[in-house]
Amino acid sequence: MLRMEIALFMVLAFVASVYFSAGRKSTPLHRTFSVLLIVVLIHLLLDGVTVYTVYHLETVPRFLNDAVHRLFLGSMVLVIYLFYQYIAILVEEETGKPRRLDGPARIFLALAELGNFLLPISYTVAPEGNYSSGPYMLVPYGGVAFYLLLCAGLLAVNWKQIDQKKKRAIGAALLIEVTVCAMQGLNHAWLISGMGITLMTLSFYLTLENPDILRAELTEQKMSMLYLKSQVNPHFLYNTLDTIRIQAQLNGDKKVANLLMRLVDFFRLSVKVDRPMVSLDDELELLEAYMELMCYRYPELQCEYDIDPDLGGMQVPNFILQPIVENSLLHGLKNKGYRGQVLISARKTQDHRMEILVSDTGSGFAEGKKAAIDQMLLNFAKQPAKLEGNSIGILNVQKRIKLLCGPEYGLSYTENPTLGVTAHLLLPMKEDVQ
Amino acid sequence: MNKLRVLLVDDEIMIREGFKRLFDWEAHDCEVVGEAADGMEALAKIDTLRPDIVIMDINIPIMNGLKVIQLSRLKHPNTAFVIVSGYDDFSYCREALRLQITDYILKPVNYEEFGTCIDNLKISLFEQRVSVAAEPEKQEERTITGITRYLQEHLAEEISLSVLAEQFHLNPQYISQLFKSEIGVNFLAYLTNIRMEKAKKLLLSTSLSIAEVAEQSGYGDYRVFTKVFKKSEGVTPSQYRRDFLEAPGGAGHP
Repeated sequence: MLRMEIALFMVLAFVASVYFSAGRKSTPLHRTFSVLLIVVLIHLLLDGVTVYTVYHLETVPRFLNDAVHRLFLGSMVLVIYLFYQYIAILVEEETGKPRRLDGPARIFLALAELGNFLLPISYTVAPEGNYSSGPYMLVPYGGVAFYLLLCAGLLAVNWKQIDQKKKRAIGAALLIEVTVCAMQGLNHAWLISGMGITLMTLSFYLTLENPDILRAELTEQKMSMLYLKSQVNPHFLYNTLDTIRIQAQLNGDKKVANLLMRLVDFFRLSVKVDRPMVSLDDELELLEAYMELMCYRYPELQCEYDIDPDLGGMQVPNFILQPIVENSLLHGLKNKGYRGQVLISARKTQDHRMEILVSDTGSGFAEGKKAAIDQMLLNFAKQPAKLEGNSIGILNVQKRIKLLCGPEYGLSYTENPTLGVTAHLLLPMKEDVQ
Repeated sequence: MNKLRVLLVDDEIMIREGFKRLFDWEAHDCEVVGEAADGMEALAKIDTLRPDIVIMDINIPIMNGLKVIQLSRLKHPNTAFVIVSGYDDFSYCREALRLQITDYILKPVNYEEFGTCIDNLKISLFEQRVSVAAEPEKQEERTITGITRYLQEHLAEEISLSVLAEQFHLNPQYISQLFKSEIGVNFLAYLTNIRMEKAKKLLLSTSLSIAEVAEQSGYGDYRVFTKVFKKSEGVTPSQYRRDFLEAPGGAGHP
C-alpha cells in the first residue's frame, strides 16, 4: 500500500534536487515554487506515515495517529493554497493584472488550518480500507475545494492571455487534481490525493521558465559584441579620429572638428560593453553624442532633455536608451523626413521607481502595429534573439531590463494624444551595485 | 605678472601642433617654450627650460608620463603638471592624483574648454602665493586678498563686480584689472572656480542633494549648476560624487 507514496516522494525529491542545484533568479514565481516543493515533499512524507499508522490503529498510540493526521491534512491545505498562489502570480506575470484575492485566500487558509487542528478526529475501519474521518476534515476539504475552484476560475478568466504551453499543462493537471480530489471525497479509503498533488507540482516545474536560458542568450550576445570590439582596437579608432579632428581644426574647419569630437565621444562611451550596469549619466552622455550627430545630419531634427538631476547616479542596464531613441527615429521620424522632436525625460514615480520617457513627434504606430509590439514586449522571453541590422533593438532592451532589474520593470509603449509615440522605461532606483 | 612657460609632451606631432596652434596661449598669458616626444626628452627639457606648466600625455615612449612626473617632482617641486590622457580609466586618474598633479583632462581635448584648465591653474598658483606670503608686502596684494576672502565668504550670494565695487569703495574696472594683473584670470573665471571648489567640497563631504549643493555654491538653478560643473569638471556633479566615493581610499577626501 505504501509503494505509491514512496514512488511519488522519490519523483519529487529528484525534481527538487535538480531544481535547487540550478542557478535561479529570485522572482516571486520561483520563490513560491521553492516553498511549494518543500511543503509538497513534507506532505508526501506525512502521507506515507499516515497510510502506515491508519492501518496500525492498535499498535500506534492514538495521540500520535491524531497528530500525524492533522499535520498531513494541514499540509495538504497549505499545498493547495500554494497552488492557488502560484497560479495567481503566473496570471499576474502573464497578463499584468494585479492579484486581488490574496487577502481572502489567506484568511480562508487560517480558518481551514484552525478547523483542522481543533475539531475532533475519528477513524473508520472498513473492509475496503481504513481512513481517518470526523468533523476535523470538513473545513480543510472545504478549503481544498475553495482553492481549486479559485485556480480553475483564474485560469478560465485569463485563458486567452496565458501562454499556450503553460495553460495546457497546468489546466490538464488541474483537471486531474480535481478528479482525484472528487474520487477521494467519494471514497475515503482510496488515499490517492498525493497523486494529483505530485502531478500539479510537476506541471508547474515543467512550465517554469528557466532564467538560465535567458542568461545564456545574453551571454552569447555579449560575447558577439566583445568579438566585434576586439576586431578594431578602440583606442586606435578614437585616437586616429582625434588626430583627424585636430587636422580639421588646424585647417580651420570647426564644424568637421566638432562632429569628429562627438563621434569620438560616441565610440569612447560605447566600447564600455563589458559592464552590464552603468549610471544614467553615462547613458545620457552616449545618447547626447549620438543625437548631436543625428541632428547635424538632419537639421530639422530636434532633441530635448528633462532629467531629474537626482537620478543621474542611478544604475541602469548598459546601452538601453540609444536603441530606444534610434527606434523612435527610424520608425517615427524617418517617415516624416526627420522633421520633428525627440524628448527624453527621467523622473521619479510615486512608488520610488524611475521612469524614463522617450517621446517623439513622429508618424506614430501603423494600424495594428501597437498590438504587435505590445505582444512582443509582453512575451519577450519567447522571442528569438536577433540583431536587427546594426542596432540591438527594443526586444533586447526589454530582455536585459527584465533580467538585470526584475520582472516588474521593463519597456512599454503608449500613443501620444497628438503626435507620435512615447516609450516608457520603468526601472528601479538603485544607486549602486556594491 | 610674467608669462607662464609651457612645455608640451606627446608622442604624436598632430596633438602637439593642435595644442600649440589651436589654443590661444597669448590670451591666457602663456607661452609654449618647448615640446618633447618621449619621456627622456621630457625629463631633459624640464631641466633645461624650467617650464611653469607641463602638458603631459601618459602613454609616451621610453618612460611613461607618470614616471616623468614622479622623477621631476623631486627636482622641480613648483612645476604644475596637467595630464592629458586617452585612457579614461580611473586607476590612472588615482595614481595621477597621488602625484599631486594639478589637473587631469581627457582626450579628445576641447581647446575652448582648455582655457578653464589654465585659469584654474593660475588660481591655484595665486592661492599658493597667498598662503606662502604670510605678510603681504604690497598694498595691491592686500586689496586682492581682501576681495578674494570676501568672495570666499559670500560665494553663495548673488555677487558681481558692482557689488564688490560698493563693498570695497573701488571702481569696478579697477577691480577687474586687479584680477587680471594679480591672478591672471578675469573676475568671472575666478568666481566660477571658487564656486566649483566649494561645490566639490560639499559633494564629497556632505550628503546634500544636488539642488542644495547648487544653492550653497551660488547657483539658484541646479540645471545651470550642472551645466557649469560638467563643463569645468568633465563629469556631472552626481558622477563626480560617485567616482570619488567609489574609489578605494578616495573617501577620505576633505
